[in-house]
Amino acid sequence: MEDDILTTLKILIIGESGVGKSSLLLRFTDDNFDPEQTLTIGVDFKTKRLNIDGNNVKLAIWDTAGQERFRTLTPSYYRDAQGAILVYDVCNYATFSKLETWLNELETYSTKRNIVKMVVANKIDMENREVSRDEGLHFAKKYKTLFIEASAKTRDGVQSAFEELVQQIIQTPDLWDSYSLGNNVSLGNKDHPAHTSQCSGYCNLV
Amino acid sequence: MEYDLPSDFDIIVVGTGMVESIVSAAASRIGKRVLHIDSNSYYGGLWASFNLDSISKIPEGNRSQPVVENKENEIVYPVGNDVFDLRIHSQKWHIPESNPEKDVDESDSAVAQEEHEWTQEKLLKISRKFNIDLAPKLHFAKGDFVELLISSNIARYSEFRSVSRILTWLNGSLEIVPCSRSDVFSSNRVSVIEKRMLMKLLTSCVDGDENEFKGYEGKTFQSYLKDRKLTENLIHYVLYAIAMCTDDTLCLEGVEKTKRFLGSLGRFGKTPFLYSMYGSGEITQAFCRLSAVFGGIYALNQSLNGFIYDNDNTFKGIICGKQRINATHLVMSLEKLPKEIVDFSTTEYISRAIFITDKSILEDEREHLTLLLFPPVDRKAACVVLELGSLTGTCPKGLHIVHVFTKQTVNPEDDLKHCVEKLFCKREGESNSSPSILWSFYFSAPNTFSQKLECEKLLNTYVCPGPDLDLDYDPAIERAKEIFERIYSNAEFLPRAPDPEEIIIEGEDNNNIINETEERAEVPADQGDVSSELAHEDDT
Ligand SMILES: Nc1nc2c(ncn2[C@@H]2O[C@H](COP(=O)(O)OP(=O)(O)O)[C@@H](O)[C@H]2O)c(=O)[nH]1
Ligand SMILES: [Mg+2]
Repeated sequence: MEDDILTTLKILIIGESGVGKSSLLLRFTDDNFDPEQTLTIGVDFKTKRLNIDGNNVKLAIWDTAGQERFRTLTPSYYRDAQGAILVYDVCNYATFSKLETWLNELETYSTKRNIVKMVVANKIDMENREVSRDEGLHFAKKYKTLFIEASAKTRDGVQSAFEELVQQIIQTPDLWDSYSLGNNVSLGNKDHPAHTSQCSGYCNLV
Repeated sequence: MEYDLPSDFDIIVVGTGMVESIVSAAASRIGKRVLHIDSNSYYGGLWASFNLDSISKIPEGNRSQPVVENKENEIVYPVGNDVFDLRIHSQKWHIPESNPEKDVDESDSAVAQEEHEWTQEKLLKISRKFNIDLAPKLHFAKGDFVELLISSNIARYSEFRSVSRILTWLNGSLEIVPCSRSDVFSSNRVSVIEKRMLMKLLTSCVDGDENEFKGYEGKTFQSYLKDRKLTENLIHYVLYAIAMCTDDTLCLEGVEKTKRFLGSLGRFGKTPFLYSMYGSGEITQAFCRLSAVFGGIYALNQSLNGFIYDNDNTFKGIICGKQRINATHLVMSLEKLPKEIVDFSTTEYISRAIFITDKSILEDEREHLTLLLFPPVDRKAACVVLELGSLTGTCPKGLHIVHVFTKQTVNPEDDLKHCVEKLFCKREGESNSSPSILWSFYFSAPNTFSQKLECEKLLNTYVCPGPDLDLDYDPAIERAKEIFERIYSNAEFLPRAPDPEEIIIEGEDNNNIINETEERAEVPADQGDVSSELAHEDDT
């Protein structure tokens, strides 16, 4: 057990297919960029430690596994997440228009009322931009989310996107303070939040 | 944005029930191109869980165009049949729609009382706090299902709670079944002599050599227990609760069932059983997630318009909307099968009831997850009762979800009546110590376990059964494995999926390789120490 860890947080990435969700994830966790996007087969979620304001937190960042494409993400994907990253592609207006649907989806399925949301405008390295920074900002203001422009390709904004999201979560203690339900059994060594008191609370199989 | 589905796959899986989902995960896991598709807008088919609002809207079945089309060189079979539908018997509220006076009276006592005055409006407002299973399942802590979850690493998607007590109905009241060593010794219902008899019997069931049961090959388990001079009460506990047998169960089968129960004791909690947090419907989704992670493509809410076969009855593809999608193999759930294909004459049903109640059938200081094994009486088959509290994530605080089911002989209401009447208030508003039923749902679900599923007529086509009466998923896993092995005879069935830390991504922009590290975090073979500790914690 890493006992200097303040908490483990579950972060989701959602948004239309092709906007760069998996790319942002891999850039952040492995500092890697793969234009052929063959890397995410078998990747369920990635973990990374982050130090925010002197606190060590462990992130478990879940990728959609392609299930966003036909809107078949399962309710359990959303369950217990403390933070969500909503991505659109600045070169594809339709992906921006669809953000509202994704917010609704979050509203419907997230089990934590005050889940922190970060809108990421991705692919700003590209020429043919269709969504301006102002439009993105305006959207974020309207729905009270965080906002950043980024490029998974050039690294721009990627680290900040995750850091700012986590900072906000840390500042909302009732999102992560371990109010474990007690007596739950989890059969894997999953990186799941709120399992801090393993035995009096949740129980691990391995 | 609308996307078309790709039009060529190795295998198409139709239906997202348990067996289909396991096959889908297993095929994706070994790199097959899988399309997993369902005409329902939700995961799980007959194995799904619903919130309170949506369970009132579940369709009774798939409707399809009934005609088989013969085209040049090809036959198109319609999708679905009405034989394996749920049969809804009744769904009723037993509380008022709303309670208008309540809003006027804001005094403290009204707030205190409010909890007890549930209305339909109030419950529907928190509809999403309910996860109501069509096919509730428990998991033997050392059963095939738990072992599969661990060995395949699918365990990371789900959480469980242990069943905290097992009850039976004995001499007109509810009794706690002493099932662990510590239970047996702390029980004040069992005399010291009985304690020794029980421990001795359980030990000989687990460790007994062949001689122990010599001469009982054709005899019942009950007769064996009687010959061992057990008291009536002990026979009841062992026969109906621990072994879950009937009076006619043969001795060796009874011994096997006792072993199954005892073998899972002491791993987590006080009983051998786990229940999936947020409902049994989560489990199919966990397998689907694994399938997706390994490249399986998911599409729900699809209009499936036909299965295409060539003149030799070899599977070619499906028609989805207007699109034709080809594949080598077709795996489908029973209710998606064209009616003309299988002999349906022998369908059996399970009688099910689901209730929302206002308190536990046996109140205690703390919330329990209760399994009640209601023994067979007067030619009525044994009933299984599963009572879930809010800690399972299937209902709001202060309420319980109760599942009651048995093998169908007449219809759900008649088959379960004798048991339900003993546990709950008979009339609305009647106040005694029994819980009241706020909402009830009676239905019949097809029990397709014994259904003949070999699809000899259609080649490269595999049919998955629906839910059965087994408490756990053992038959479903067995069937899924069998189907998988028939399709991919030399491949490994659900090898362990790597943890994220084990996937090392190398190189930048080119030369990307995924390495699954060889070293694996071994699951300790013996969980004994941990579990006794857990059982302890459970007490506090
Ligand atoms: N130029 C550029 N391409 C990107 C960027 N992020 C992702 N891509 C490319 O966009 C495509 C889709 O990315 P992917 O991460 O698979 O998107 P997902 O479907 O949202 O997971 C891939 O070809 C990526 O290489 C970016 O910031 N800039
Ligand atoms: Mg992706």
